[in-house]
Amino acid sequence: MLNRQVAPKLTPIKSIDFSVPEMVEIHAGIPLYWKNNIANETAKMELHFNAGTTIETPILASLTAGLLISGTKTKSAIQIHHALDAVGAYYDVSVSQEQAVVTLYALNSYLKQAFDIFHEALTAAIFPEKEVQEICNERQEKLKVQLQKVNVLAQRKIQQVLFEETPYSQVISQRDYATVKRTDLIEFHQKHYLKGLSKVFLVGDFSKDVMLDIKTACADFVGKAFQPENCTFSGKAHIEHQEKSDALQTAIRIGKIMFNKTHPDFISFSVMNTILGDYFGSRLMSNIREDKGYTYGIGSYMMENTHFGYFMIATEVAKEVREATIQEVKNELERLQTELVPAEELELVKSYLLGQLLKAADGPYAMLDLFSGVELHGMDISFYNKYIQKVQEITAEEIREMACKHLDWKSLSIISVG
Amino acid sequence: MIHFERFKLDNGLTVLFHKEASTPMAVVNLLYDVGARDESEEKTGFAHLFEHLMFGGSVNIPDFDGPLQAAGGESNAFTSNDITNYYDVLPAHNLDTALWLESDRMLSLAFTDKSLEVQRNVVIEEFKQRYLNQPYGDVWMEIRQLAYTKHPYKWATIGKEIKHIEDAKMSDVKAFFKKHYHPSNCILCVIGNFELDYVKERVDHFFGSIPKAKKSARILPLEPAQDRFKSKTIVRNVPADAFYYAFKMPERKNPGYYLADLLSDIMGREKVSKMYVDLVKKQKLVSEINAYITGSIDEGLFMITGKLNEGKSFADLDKEIWKIIAHYTVTLISKKELEQIKIKLRTARAFQDQGLLNRAMNLSFFELLGDANGINEEQEIYQSIHAEDLRIFAKQLFIKKNGVLLKVKKKKNA
Repeated sequence: MLNRQVAPKLTPIKSIDFSVPEMVEIHAGIPLYWKNNIANETAKMELHFNAGTTIETPILASLTAGLLISGTKTKSAIQIHHALDAVGAYYDVSVSQEQAVVTLYALNSYLKQAFDIFHEALTAAIFPEKEVQEICNERQEKLKVQLQKVNVLAQRKIQQVLFEETPYSQVISQRDYATVKRTDLIEFHQKHYLKGLSKVFLVGDFSKDVMLDIKTACADFVGKAFQPENCTFSGKAHIEHQEKSDALQTAIRIGKIMFNKTHPDFISFSVMNTILGDYFGSRLMSNIREDKGYTYGIGSYMMENTHFGYFMIATEVAKEVREATIQEVKNELERLQTELVPAEELELVKSYLLGQLLKAADGPYAMLDLFSGVELHGMDISFYNKYIQKVQEITAEEIREMACKHLDWKSLSIISVG
Repeated sequence: MIHFERFKLDNGLTVLFHKEASTPMAVVNLLYDVGARDESEEKTGFAHLFEHLMFGGSVNIPDFDGPLQAAGGESNAFTSNDITNYYDVLPAHNLDTALWLESDRMLSLAFTDKSLEVQRNVVIEEFKQRYLNQPYGDVWMEIRQLAYTKHPYKWATIGKEIKHIEDAKMSDVKAFFKKHYHPSNCILCVIGNFELDYVKERVDHFFGSIPKAKKSARILPLEPAQDRFKSKTIVRNVPADAFYYAFKMPERKNPGYYLADLLSDIMGREKVSKMYVDLVKKQKLVSEINAYITGSIDEGLFMITGKLNEGKSFADLDKEIWKIIAHYTVTLISKKELEQIKIKLRTARAFQDQGLLNRAMNLSFFELLGDANGINEEQEIYQSIHAEDLRIFAKQLFIKKNGVLLKVKKKKNA
């Protein structure tokens, strides 16, 4: 007879197989990574350019990225999009603070053709005035919508506060659209795309010759290896509330500058952060959503850039419980700083993290993303074996130490809008 | 081709199993045949509120998420107007944990007052965050009310109003569970590197003893044929005027569904569609324009939506929209364009099938429609569509009296 009150026995994860993609150099310091043992006909290519929002201004980075296939002397934007459609390819470009990443998705038999189309469009891009005006109009309209959202306003504000006086603090405003010039975009494209490729990730089951052809063509865009400026941040905590009278909820962001994977405390801090706010059963979720019902969701995150990272707690709450929510966050931090995490909770989080890592390593696409996460910091895949070992060994005392050492309440900036 | 096995337990539970040897993970997906369309008009938002309560502990297990996380897994769920879908992704060697948890909450819930009270608040905050505190957040509530007069698609899954959620009582919750949460109202799908016999044995071990209950017949009010074009204007604090044309389209099981889907792909193609080129690029009438379908099981909506540029009028837009619509009812789509769309569909499908969870959800959904193997037949249907099929379909679809239009007007000095 099944006794439903007894949980099935669990088998812990001891080790995970991590695999490294094949690497060829496009040029000195500019790698192409290739994962080729794919069981299906999908293929993907990621081109990383040194063209993020911090290299010059966010408006230039954002508009140039949006206009990469906006037309050449001989082909219109529509013709180029049709050509990509004809090989069933999807095209996407995303811009972060440090990088612009162009991604092509296609069936493996068409990826090379999709890349050729993109290659020609990028090389010969002329940024027609008409296309520039259109994208400005479209983006301005989208920004208007964004700027009505309390979460967007709070996010922009805390970014300005944390990264004050560095390129990382810049955000796009409506004014930027009025002053941006086509010639600036052309110059940005010349400098940061035509000579801005920093690495390529390739997934797909095609022949080595195809991969080598792609590699050769990528050489046309090589520039310097990726090396963003190393900024120093003031680290001053700032507390501010912005009233938005028509809002029904208040967005809260609590954060500070932190480290990235290269720091010896990173793994221990991540375990502590998971307990605090980075999974569904976290203390912030259990207290502020599941016990108090103040919010639909609350979480704490570690974000990483090349030289630094930052820590952020984010939520939207009922307007009348803003103060109460901030107080509860403070209480949860103090609890982590003064009490030891109970053994059962710590064990749960360890198993959860290892299960999530197993999932994050499942399949060629996931594996390449994991690899990319360490490659960015000049580390190798053995980081994840260290991670497994550290997660298995970490003690409640170390968790408490991490909270005390890095999350002093007075060091945190608090922004609320709503 | 996605191979799968199907078996049924004596209590009526349908089980699908798809073996994937390359993964160390397992997916357990449970699709319950209940959605917002099964709610009564006085108690809307219930299917979704209930989904939240399913995580508040079951009859023998006080906490759902804890044991799953301790097994290295994760879980979530979503509610639509048609279905409620729960899924667990965890290391394959801990499959039992997911089956244990899911079977216990199918058997019965803990039904604590605290859980109900908290989840009511959480859902109210979700209501505000997603529907009320966003520009254009409430438009879908308005479109549904305009397009449907009788069918329960007239309310959104979150509910018609916050008050319905505030008023939810424990007795309502229990009755809802009894009616909709039992083996014969559920499709369970397991994916992982297992053998069929093992899956049969483990599923029977955990789910076999759950009592059988009768699947209740679904008798929904039929939506009467519309007799005239309907239009409504609302004024909101939004940055730009927005428009939402909606046309009634065939239900999911009708072959016309695939025609509508393909037609919306063609009309809404980014950067190259006729709508985009004419209205965004040439005339500068709108800043964005899209076409898509709602994808519902019963009669759905074919949508054409977008935002007007500053200083442009709804009347000018209306003329142009009908010109474009007329184009598709008269002119055949070129062979080249049709081929482009079809190969894009193949790419999209190949990427979708990559994900284990996607495969589990799709298999379950096709089984609900009648046969999980539909997942393997769908591509062939799309690939066999001709330009003439689309033109004839467009002619049937875009009849003015089948349509509605919601205009969202920007509040002055907003």
